[in-house]
Amino acid sequence: MITIIDSGICNIGSVLTALDRVGARYIVTTEPAHVNSASALLLPGVGAFADGMEALRRNSLVEPIRAHAVAGKPLLGVCLGMQLLADGSDEFGTHEGLGLVPGWVRRLPSVPSLRVPNIGWCDMQVTNSTKLFAGSEANTSFYFVHSYAMECDDLDNIVGSIDFGDHKVTAACQRGNIFGAQFHPEKSQDAGLAVIANFAALVDLK
Amino acid sequence: MTVSALTYSRPHPRLIPVLLLKHGVIVRSQLFKVHQVIGNPMSTVERYSNWNVDELIILDISRGEDRHDLRRDDLQQHYAGNSALDVLKAITKVCFMPLTFGGRIQSIVDIETRLAAGADKVAINTTAFDNPALIEQAARRFGSQCIVVSIDTRASEKGGWEVFVDGGRRATGRSPADWAREMERRGAGEILLNSIDRDGSAKGYDLDLIRCVADAIFIPVVACGGVGRYDHIAPAILDGHAAAAAVANLFHFFELAYPHAKQAATSAGVRMRPGRLGSRFLAREPVYDQAREGARIEERLRQARDCDYPAASPEAAVKRRDIRWCTECTYPSISAAPMEFDENGVCTGCQMAKVKAAISTAEWARRKELLRDIVDRYRCKDGSRHDVVVAVSGGKDSYFQVHVLKEEFGLNPLLVTYDGNNWTDVGWRNMVRMREAFRVDHVIIRPSVATLKKLNKLAFVIMGDMNWHAHVGIMTAPMAEAARRGIPLVFYGEHGYLDLCGQFSMDDFPEVNYRDRLEHFARGYEWTYFVDRDGLKSQDMDIWKYPADQAMLDLDLRGIFLGNYVYWEANEHIKLITERYGFEVSQEAFDRTYRTMSNLDDMHENGVHDYLKYIKFGYGRATDHTCKDIRAGLMDRNRAIELVNHYDPIKPRDLYRWLEYVGMSEDEFDRIADTFRDPRVWHFQNNRWVRATLTAVSDRRAGWL
Repeated sequence: MITIIDSGICNIGSVLTALDRVGARYIVTTEPAHVNSASALLLPGVGAFADGMEALRRNSLVEPIRAHAVAGKPLLGVCLGMQLLADGSDEFGTHEGLGLVPGWVRRLPSVPSLRVPNIGWCDMQVTNSTKLFAGSEANTSFYFVHSYAMECDDLDNIVGSIDFGDHKVTAACQRGNIFGAQFHPEKSQDAGLAVIANFAALVDLK
Repeated sequence: MTVSALTYSRPHPRLIPVLLLKHGVIVRSQLFKVHQVIGNPMSTVERYSNWNVDELIILDISRGEDRHDLRRDDLQQHYAGNSALDVLKAITKVCFMPLTFGGRIQSIVDIETRLAAGADKVAINTTAFDNPALIEQAARRFGSQCIVVSIDTRASEKGGWEVFVDGGRRATGRSPADWAREMERRGAGEILLNSIDRDGSAKGYDLDLIRCVADAIFIPVVACGGVGRYDHIAPAILDGHAAAAAVANLFHFFELAYPHAKQAATSAGVRMRPGRLGSRFLAREPVYDQAREGARIEERLRQARDCDYPAASPEAAVKRRDIRWCTECTYPSISAAPMEFDENGVCTGCQMAKVKAAISTAEWARRKELLRDIVDRYRCKDGSRHDVVVAVSGGKDSYFQVHVLKEEFGLNPLLVTYDGNNWTDVGWRNMVRMREAFRVDHVIIRPSVATLKKLNKLAFVIMGDMNWHAHVGIMTAPMAEAARRGIPLVFYGEHGYLDLCGQFSMDDFPEVNYRDRLEHFARGYEWTYFVDRDGLKSQDMDIWKYPADQAMLDLDLRGIFLGNYVYWEANEHIKLITERYGFEVSQEAFDRTYRTMSNLDDMHENGVHDYLKYIKFGYGRATDHTCKDIRAGLMDRNRAIELVNHYDPIKPRDLYRWLEYVGMSEDEFDRIADTFRDPRVWHFQNNRWVRATLTAVSDRRAGWL
């Protein structure tokens, strides 16, 4: 069973449809008690970093999520949900994050002729072996919509990256059972559904 | 190093299908005016998921919010409700790619409801012009990434282009580049740029227009309008500087059109995201909820037992429609065939028949040369296999096709026939004669009669049509035989819906494809539906299994309709095929039509199968046949109406063969049939079924004006 945190700042319908499609069981909640008892958490999100953290704080979810992660139970953050895993972000000021994956969220580098936000299908290189991409082909494309990205302190925590001009940008991270995907797996066709299925399979193993 | 092994430092250029949604069905569009019905949106979107499509744009061009309706209840797929939002919600269940939804968006609330229903972006057109401040508010509220401004343009007489709104009806005096710049400034995240002049023209994109706008702004331009060939796509990106190429009609016409188009663009040097076929999570062959479907079947049988017919219930009244008929032929507005009507009440069948009749001899000659190119590309070069497969039923059209392919094109065809065990005596003799008369090889695919009996009975109960096996078998067996033997070209006769209801235009050259087969021939019921019903196993359904996508792509398998390339008037061929090949003309009349020459391969096709069309929709073969005869100039409409009103209601005698064949009583048949009465057409009054009938009137247009 996957517990999905719906902090109300974005539409999570597509994520739920994707979970249905891969046959995963889930509940949707904003209750700290549900998060405390969750065997796995999925943290979706679209929008600004500060709004995302504020929604978690308002619902008293910050500590339950940290406790869940510290206990070694699976957690997947998607898009903004991945960024929230970092220590903090520069988006519209300096803001503290969940601090579960050491690193900082910064604006995408400025590259002539490349637009920010970065929107579209980008080839991702798997840089470290991870269960999240089990069975994925090399350089599979995923669908991205973002202006900011996580810079990890520990390069071992980067499991997927994309090229943005001459820069490498973190596309996915893992630290123990904490996972993050900057792209939208629920909008990345079969490759994205496979990522969700891989996370769901991880949960079933627990 | 292959292209797929390279990475790319920016997002891939996209190839985006555009679907036009009109009152709940997908339509094909020409010059923003003619709209032909393609089918239901879920079938198409599911197919796009099989094709691993980059992104999808759906534009709702309905007039008004409600009345979204698939227009029939005997299909496997449905959506709840009758609004565009209801359709959007059903689509998102099978859509795992970015989705832009446009059409009649007027406010922040409209945007919010569409995003909440599952759209990732919204496309705004007329409202952006009438209320440009909305774009600013929307971008602030939802982010530029989900605000697409759609711009329709027309070439102006003075040179350059002008922006039009209101579906191309209202001029704005603005130039597209200037307007796109303003929209970018106000916060649009993307421009969807359409050329009205090129819409449905198949002439290719207006590259000057695209370049002019793309070079004027920094946000991505999605080019749209005019693609008719796969090689039209690459120039939009390479020469037009668009970030994405959007294509509407083309993907409706051909099997695996999207992967083929991507291959073509990639070969031309566009760094497309590599295509991949198939989905682990959304199989091409639908996976049905067997428990739910079993309950649906049980409920139907209960309705039949209790005479509790859906169309007779008081709630059914909301579905009732005022049936109108084409003002030139006899086709009704609620029908089994996908049909649209223009503002004069003329059906797309009549409109396309006129287009076809106006095709000049020179144009037919050009089409024959197109066919020659195709044949030369696919025929056997080394004598190792048959040149082509021809799907034949043994009817007059089959004889004519084989004659053309053998005599005019010098091919060695392999004939393939699906044997559904419903032959008339004359039909059987004509079919069997072909291998001798034409000196060709002939494969007859013959399913077990035990299996056929089960499928007849099951399909009647499930979808109100015993001939599922025949329709799907005919569209499957020749394709599968060709795939097995490595023969890349299969011939069918006429495209039934192009001919009958003008579903496509004459320049579309539509081909056999999986979506069409599943959606129209199978009504959404794939062979998988029957597995574990009445003891049927997957192996029993082998004959109805369509070739796999990858196998079709590797072989470049195509099923084409000869009628799109060669002049076709059946009555003129009869002398040739009787004298030269010994074709036997049937003298025996059918119960339900005045024509004697059609469907001799299946006695139920003009009989009880067609009677069920009458039970469902209130019309039948005599309507189909009179429409064709009116359009061919062979019949007057008043005479046609007499024939329709005489023949369409007749209960045919072949019913009794069928009842004995499957072991069913006539009472049971009648009760189950009545559960399929379409509430749009029928109501139950004073203990009998009532519908509006077509009468000969002097002022035909009365109902339309």
